[in-house]
Amino acid sequence: MEHQLTYSTSFEENKKAHEPLLWIGLVSIIMFFAGLTSAVIVSSTSATWQLFSLPSSFLNSSIAIVLSSVTYQAGYVFLKKQQQSIAILLFAITLTLSLLFVYFQYAGLSNLYQQGIFATGSQSTTSSSYFYILTVLHIAHLFFGLISLLYVSIKTMLNKYNNNNYLGVKISLTYWHFLGILWVYLYVFLSVMMSK
Amino acid sequence: MLLLSAFAFILILFLVTFIYLKGGEFKEMFKVDPDDLTFNEQENKTQGWLFAAFGIAFFLFIVFLMLKWGGSILPEAASVHGEEYDSLMLITGIIIVTVFIITHVLLFLFVYKYAFNKNRKPAFFTHNLKLEILWTALPSMVLVLLISVGLYNWNSIMKPLGDKDDKVLIELYAKQFDWTARYAGADGKLGRASVHLINGGNFLGIDTTDVVAFDDKIVKNEFHIPVNKPVQFVFRAQDVMHSAFMPHFRAQMNCVPGLKTQFNFTPKYTTQEMRRITKNPDFDYMLLCNKICGTAHFAMKMKIVVESEEDFNTWLASNQSFKQ
Amino acid sequence: MDLTHSSHTHKESFITKYIFSTDHKMIAKQFMITGFTMGFIGIIMSVLFRLQLGWPGEKFLINELLLGSWANGGVIAPDKYLALVTMHGTIMVFFMLTAGLSGTFSNLLIPLQIGARDMASGFMNMLSYWIFFVSCIVMLVSLGVEGGAASAGWTIYPPLSALPEAIPGSGLGMTLWLISMALFITSSLIGSLNYIVTIINLRTKGMTFSRLPLTIWSFLVTAILGVLSFPVLLSAVLLLVFDRSFGTSFYLSDIFIGGQALERFGGSPILFEHLFWFLGHPEVYIVLLPSLGITSEIVSTMSRKPIFGYKFMVGSILAIGGLSFIVWGHHMFVTGMNPFLGAVFTITTLLIAIPSAIKVFNYLTTLWRGNIIFSPAMLFSIGLISTFITGGLTGLILGDATLDINVHDTYFVVGHFHIVMGLSAVFGTFAGVYHWFPKMFGKMMNNTWGQVHFWITIVTAYGVFFPMHFLGLAGVPRRYYTNSSFPMFDDFINLNEIISIFAILAFLGQLIFLFNFLYSIYKGKKASQNPWNSNTLEWTTPVEHIHGNWPNDIPEVHRWPYDYNKPGYEEFIPQNVPLKKGETDSGAH
Repeated sequence: MEHQLTYSTSFEENKKAHEPLLWIGLVSIIMFFAGLTSAVIVSSTSATWQLFSLPSSFLNSSIAIVLSSVTYQAGYVFLKKQQQSIAILLFAITLTLSLLFVYFQYAGLSNLYQQGIFATGSQSTTSSSYFYILTVLHIAHLFFGLISLLYVSIKTMLNKYNNNNYLGVKISLTYWHFLGILWVYLYVFLSVMMSK
Repeated sequence: MLLLSAFAFILILFLVTFIYLKGGEFKEMFKVDPDDLTFNEQENKTQGWLFAAFGIAFFLFIVFLMLKWGGSILPEAASVHGEEYDSLMLITGIIIVTVFIITHVLLFLFVYKYAFNKNRKPAFFTHNLKLEILWTALPSMVLVLLISVGLYNWNSIMKPLGDKDDKVLIELYAKQFDWTARYAGADGKLGRASVHLINGGNFLGIDTTDVVAFDDKIVKNEFHIPVNKPVQFVFRAQDVMHSAFMPHFRAQMNCVPGLKTQFNFTPKYTTQEMRRITKNPDFDYMLLCNKICGTAHFAMKMKIVVESEEDFNTWLASNQSFKQ
Repeated sequence: MDLTHSSHTHKESFITKYIFSTDHKMIAKQFMITGFTMGFIGIIMSVLFRLQLGWPGEKFLINELLLGSWANGGVIAPDKYLALVTMHGTIMVFFMLTAGLSGTFSNLLIPLQIGARDMASGFMNMLSYWIFFVSCIVMLVSLGVEGGAASAGWTIYPPLSALPEAIPGSGLGMTLWLISMALFITSSLIGSLNYIVTIINLRTKGMTFSRLPLTIWSFLVTAILGVLSFPVLLSAVLLLVFDRSFGTSFYLSDIFIGGQALERFGGSPILFEHLFWFLGHPEVYIVLLPSLGITSEIVSTMSRKPIFGYKFMVGSILAIGGLSFIVWGHHMFVTGMNPFLGAVFTITTLLIAIPSAIKVFNYLTTLWRGNIIFSPAMLFSIGLISTFITGGLTGLILGDATLDINVHDTYFVVGHFHIVMGLSAVFGTFAGVYHWFPKMFGKMMNNTWGQVHFWITIVTAYGVFFPMHFLGLAGVPRRYYTNSSFPMFDDFINLNEIISIFAILAFLGQLIFLFNFLYSIYKGKKASQNPWNSNTLEWTTPVEHIHGNWPNDIPEVHRWPYDYNKPGYEEFIPQNVPLKKGETDSGAH
């Protein structure tokens, strides 16, 4: 048998698959939330579906997370221009904004709680349970985003990003944008489905 | 119960050690050479023969099953819509059996006929658009037929009876592990009910302030329906999901807690007539539970009696109303 | 190419080689051993409850021996019967036929057949296996807890699965079931991500999509189905966990149980069914498609003839995959759903018959004028074609909303899905094991015992499941502990005995396989590099496993994988052989 063996690959080659890996992972997260939000739609046809008004805190948090997306993106741009110090600053702002987001989410939920709109128990309704669960699940996903943001910031501080190995930052950034879009979607969706 | 898994593990472990230690002694059993392609052509032929034989045996087995148990399947439908059901089942059945026979004959024939022969040169037949379009189109046409007949029947079966139609209205109430029937009574309406109103003797949770409920009649163990008159069923469940299955009438509907479901049919044969048709003097119509509902799921049943309208009216009158 | 290369100097400790291995071939074996062990437990369960169904109320020492307190006095308790049925279903569908089948062959074959050193992420691959392993352990532990294992059927419909008052198995047993399933879903998702990305990104040069072996196509579609549908099951499971443990009411409303009305409003059990079957139906194809892919490969190779209609085969895999997402409602025709929706689901469901018919006719045409070599793998592949036809056809009845009314949840359904999905998938698995055993272990399995195994399996399997259609047409419901409360089913006492006897024989037949399998690992005949004279790339790797699969460069692909008996050329031409002068790639049209 004659063979032409010109094509050589190494294990390093597998790295090029990491970005698509994230994209398809995002698809499965989308399906997870699609399942939950379609459950909301089905449940909302029930006669006992209750409407309540969303505290303004959730609007603040939405703004915070959108801004954080912008700052992270800017940080990435500067990092690629080898301007580490500006990048670090922007990453720090991103981190602050995301913590602010978590704070606003918490404030919003506790506001609801004080209004007597509970997540579980005999006084809760399906609509409020959905609201709490979706919000908390989003934060759970944000948690992994935060870890990756910290990781990226530390690596930047240690000056580990030089010539063209920005794949990790790019993946973290894509995920971060996804989290922002996901929350904006959830916010709009929940406002339509639940608010008075 | 962990024992079961332990057993499985131990059996596998035992086999591993056994084979490892005693492997040599089994060499004899395994002396046939499972070689690459230098195999025994005659033995290969035998497998082809076996397939042909299996094909014949398979068909004989099916014929045997049909002769022995074909008569034990459900008798002809005892409801009006059941006739359509049965004829659709017949059409589908004929199509299925025809396709089954054709494809299996071809399968076993090809397998038998084309068993390895060193003098044969296999065809290099990679694709043929005409053939492939043919067997895309053929099933499509058959499906169009099945779908259109099926949907026509489906829509007519699922159509609820109108308020003004002359009918008998019955609520079937499912709970672990029995059935209760509630008749609408003289006013033809069922009173309000909710599981939140259950207490003591009022085990259906009927609203005792609802005037409409006063003439409702509650029966257990068996319920009666008149022949040749539409019966509208409403289903409620108390605890978990159940399914009201009345196979002789080709009728089934799930009973879901928190949801009211409905189904209607018109009985065609009385119990007596069905006894004659089935030549079984002990025959009775049955309501079964057909959705897994707990420990005694298998025993959750209620007898159905179909009788003439007069007999039915007499029987119904003999039952007490909810509040007299 | 130097393939005599044997002692690869890659220092690996026992732990990194056998336990926490990131090598896809080792992970494939781990999936296989774990999945088959689970399958073995699942099949023992089926034999035990078949004893009860064949001879209701009869005492069997083995019940007491294996089930302990579940079968005091040798008779299985009614609620524990339901636990056995539930666990049998769960284990077979998820652990054996999803992880055991897809996990094994996707892992083994994807890198080898597309020409990659390993999966896109070896670490995630390892993670996928170990999460699966933990989920197996949790599921097995749930067998031993108070109240027994989950008993609400493998579809775990609430409220039965949500309320411990409804059935003892809905206590701790159900909690563990849900935990195990959440882990399983995670494992399955990680695995699927890896499979998709590997297939899309790591194909060797020349391995275009139109040159992919059909196995890879089926694994790809399977993985896509998994990524899209398992998250939805996860959301269903999550909401059920909240209903069970935290007092929400997503699935519960107006329930009176244990002497009191529950304070739960606004939920609907039907919602769970929608979410569950949105996964559940694609899951059927997650189980079935890999088997169809494996069979396509084997039927072509062992007929020494190209697969007929490669593009239509790919198209039908894609069509089946796509359609599987819009048919879930056919499991719910009698839930009181809107009749219009029922009509839509009838149409979409019956449409699946078209790609299925294409596959069957293409298989038959592939066999036609071939030169068939009956290796055990080929026997099982032919068996699969038969079961796929038999079981698929009865789907025309169940998919039709009208006809479903009277056969829904009867033994007709049990017969149908055991043949079309259970047997077909199991046959595909066996075919795959016999065919790729030499690739996995470098040894050959014994031919004769393989043939005996096949004949016992197909005869007994049809003996078990074919008669069930008659039970179904008589209206016998599934999941009944005994039919003795209904005199109308008395005619079937003998038939149930016959089914149970076949079931026991079927189980004993599998011991032959187990024996042959284990024996061959240790004492089997050494395999040559390409024992079946096959064209796909996995047979260009050395018999001895090495990390990275090919000792030198990865071969380049020049043609489709089905050049068997191409007129004017060699008997078979592997994919890495360049086209001769004036030769055209037969797959390219």
